[in-house]
Amino acid sequence: MSYFNIDAQALNTYDAIVIGSGISGGWAAKELTGKGLRTLVLERGRDVRHVTDYPTTNKQPWEFEHRNQLKQEVREANPIISKCYAFYEGTEQFFVKDAEHPYVQEKPFDWIRGYQVGGKSLMWARQTQRWSDFDFEGPARDGFAVDWPIRYADIAPWYSHVERFAGITGNKDGLATLPDGEFLPPHEWNCVEKHFQQKVAAKYKDRHVIMGRAAHLTQPQPIHFQQGRAQCQHRTICERGCPFGGYFSSNSSTIPWAAKTGKMTLRPNSVVHSIIYDEAKGRATGVRVIDANTKQMQEFYARIIFLNAAALNSNLVLLNSTSHRFPNGLGNDSGVLGKYVAFHNYRAGISGEYDGDLDSTTDGRRPNSPYIPRFRNVLKQETNFLRGYASGFSAGRISRSDQNGIGADLKESLLNPKLGGWYVGSHMMGETIPKESNYLALDSSLKDPFGIPQLKISIAYDDNDDKMVKDYQEQLTEMFTEAGFKNIRVRDSHAAPGLDIHEMGGVRMGKDPKTSMLNKWNQLHAVKNVFVTDGASMTSTSTQNPSLTYMALTARAADYAVKAMKKGLV
Amino acid sequence: MAGAVGGLISLPAWANGWTTETVLTTRKILSVGQTELLAEMVETIIPATDTPGAKALNVHQFVQKMVADCYPKTAQENLNKGLDSLNDLAQKSFSKPFAQGDTAQRTALLTQLAQSPDQKEFYSLVKNLTIRGYMTSEYVMTNLTHYEFIPGRYHGCVPVPQKAASQGK
Repeated sequence: MSYFNIDAQALNTYDAIVIGSGISGGWAAKELTGKGLRTLVLERGRDVRHVTDYPTTNKQPWEFEHRNQLKQEVREANPIISKCYAFYEGTEQFFVKDAEHPYVQEKPFDWIRGYQVGGKSLMWARQTQRWSDFDFEGPARDGFAVDWPIRYADIAPWYSHVERFAGITGNKDGLATLPDGEFLPPHEWNCVEKHFQQKVAAKYKDRHVIMGRAAHLTQPQPIHFQQGRAQCQHRTICERGCPFGGYFSSNSSTIPWAAKTGKMTLRPNSVVHSIIYDEAKGRATGVRVIDANTKQMQEFYARIIFLNAAALNSNLVLLNSTSHRFPNGLGNDSGVLGKYVAFHNYRAGISGEYDGDLDSTTDGRRPNSPYIPRFRNVLKQETNFLRGYASGFSAGRISRSDQNGIGADLKESLLNPKLGGWYVGSHMMGETIPKESNYLALDSSLKDPFGIPQLKISIAYDDNDDKMVKDYQEQLTEMFTEAGFKNIRVRDSHAAPGLDIHEMGGVRMGKDPKTSMLNKWNQLHAVKNVFVTDGASMTSTSTQNPSLTYMALTARAADYAVKAMKKGLV
Repeated sequence: MAGAVGGLISLPAWANGWTTETVLTTRKILSVGQTELLAEMVETIIPATDTPGAKALNVHQFVQKMVADCYPKTAQENLNKGLDSLNDLAQKSFSKPFAQGDTAQRTALLTQLAQSPDQKEFYSLVKNLTIRGYMTSEYVMTNLTHYEFIPGRYHGCVPVPQKAASQGK
C-alpha cells in the first residue's frame, strides 16, 4: 500500500470512460461495469438520485403554488424551453434554462436539454418501438443518405436484451414495419380507439392501428424487482421522476445497477471539453473535463471511451477535439462530422369528435396511447415525397361544466360537470431527410460559460417535409372520415425544428470511411477506441421514436468493445 | 351535491396549510382594502352554500398570487384599476360599497360587468382565476370532486357513471 499518491495519471485512469449519463450513457455504464470494467461516468449536470431527488413527484395539484403554471419571469427568461410541452412548474428543475447554456441559432432551432444525471431519460415520453429493415434499408433503397452498415438482424438480439431489462409494454402485432419485441402486457384500449382500429383495418390492408409500445412496467418481472422498481401506478406525471420506477429511466434502472457492481465512478458537474488524442499511440487516451463548480480543467484517462452526450453535444465534443492529426474534429477524415443532421417532423396534427359509444367512458389514466406505424412509401415509392410518417392516436371523453353563470348556480354547475362526447386526436411523426446542408459547427468567437465554443445549429424543414405534412393531413382526414368522426380539424404548428427532441446524426454510421464517421460497431473509423452510440450515430431517422435503438446500439457496441479490448484490438 | 362535509365553521388544516405557505411568499400587488374587496368579489362568484365559498378557501389570495407571478404587467394594472372602480360602480348601482351589498345586488353588478366593454377583461380575469383556484383547491379536490393521485388502472370501456367527476393532473 502506498502512502503517496504521486502518480495523478494512474489515479485518474480507468478502463473505460462514458461521457453522459442519459438514456444511452446509462446503458454504456451498465454494460461496461457489468463486464468488469472500472468505468468513469462523466455527467455535466448535477446528480439526481432516484426517488430522493424528485422534489415534485409526490406533490398534489393544490400544492403547486401556481397550479403548475410557469411564472411570467420564467417564461420571459426562457422563450425556447417554455415551448416544450413537458416544461412546467413541477418539472422546471430538470430542464436547461435558455441563458445558462447558450448556443447559436443560425436558423431557428428549439434545443431542449436536460443536464443532470439521467439526462432526458427522466422527462422523456417513453415510446419505444423497434426499427425495422424498412428503416435500416431505407437509405440504400431511395438514396437519401448513405447505406446503414447494419440491418435489423444485427440489432434484433440487442433490442431483446434491452427490452427485457428496461421493461417494455406492448402487443405482438406481427407487422413487418414494426417488429415485435419482448413485451410486458399491453395497455388497454378504449371503445372509440377500438372502433377506429376496426374501421381502418376494414378499409386499408396496409394500415394498422396498434397499442403503443412504451417503457412502462405493466407487469414487473424478477429482473425489474431486482432493480428496485415496481409496477406503473398510472399517475401520468412521469416527467417529474417516478418514485416507483414505473417507467424506465437511467436514474431508476441502469445507473444504480452499474453502481451496484462497485466498478462505477459517477462524476457529476463534469463538463467534457474534448477527447485527448495521442498521435504517438494513434489512439484516444482520455478526456479533458471542466469542473462545473470550480471551472478547473482536469484530465481522465481510459482504454476505451464511450461518447453519449446526446446527439448535438456529442457532435460538439468531437468538433472541439482537435489535434495535429485531426484539425477538423476527432475522427473527421471524411469531413462529414456535424453534417447530415436530421430530426422528426411533429408539426401536424388532427382532431375530431365522435358521437357513438356514448354509453361508455374510460376509468383511470393511461401513460400511453395507440400508434399507427408508417404506411407511406413502404413497399414502393407512391407519393411525391421521400419516406413517411408514423402517427399517434388517442380518444377520450372530457367532463365539462357550464361556466357562464355566477353565484350558487355557477358553483352547482362547476361541481356537476357533464360528460362530453368523445374527442379523437392524432399527431404525425415524420421522417426528415438527412442533408449535408443541415449541419452543426463551432462558432468561431462565441464561448459558453465554460470557455467552450458555442454550438452553431443550422437546421431547417424543407419541401419534402411540407409535402409530408399535407399528405398526413389528407390521409388522416380520410381515415377519420371513414371512422365517422365529425368536426375534423387539421393543423400545422409551423414550429421550428427541435421541439420534437429527436435530433439525430452528425456522426453517422456507414460502411465507407470517406462518407461516414462510424463503422458498424459505432466505432470511429479513424479512432478505434472511441465509440459514439447516442443519437449522433444515426444514419437516418426512421419514423419511430429513437431511444430504444440508442439503448440497443449501446449495449451491442459495449459488448463488442470489451471483446475487442480483450483481444488487444482497441 | 356533497352536503355532508364537516368542518365548515372552524376552518380545518387545509385552509391554513394552503395560505401560510402561499400568502407569505406572495408579492403584494394589492392593498389591504383591495384584497378585502377581491375576497368579496370571488365570494360573489362562488359563494358559501352548504360548502365553503371562494373566500373561505382563500381563492382571493390565489388570484392575487397568480396575477402577480404568472401574468404580464398589463393584467396586474387591470386588476388594480378594476378593483378601484368596483366601489364606485357599487355606489352608482346600489348606493353602498360593494361589500355591503346583498347577494342579489352584488350578483347583478358583476353580471353587468361581464357585459361592459371597459370592465369585461377585469371581470373575466378574476372569474377565470376564481374558478381555477376554487376547483384546484385542496378542499374541493379532496371532498367534492374526489381527485385520485394514484388510480393504478386504466379501463377503456366502462358504463357512464351516474355522476361524472372531473379529474385533472
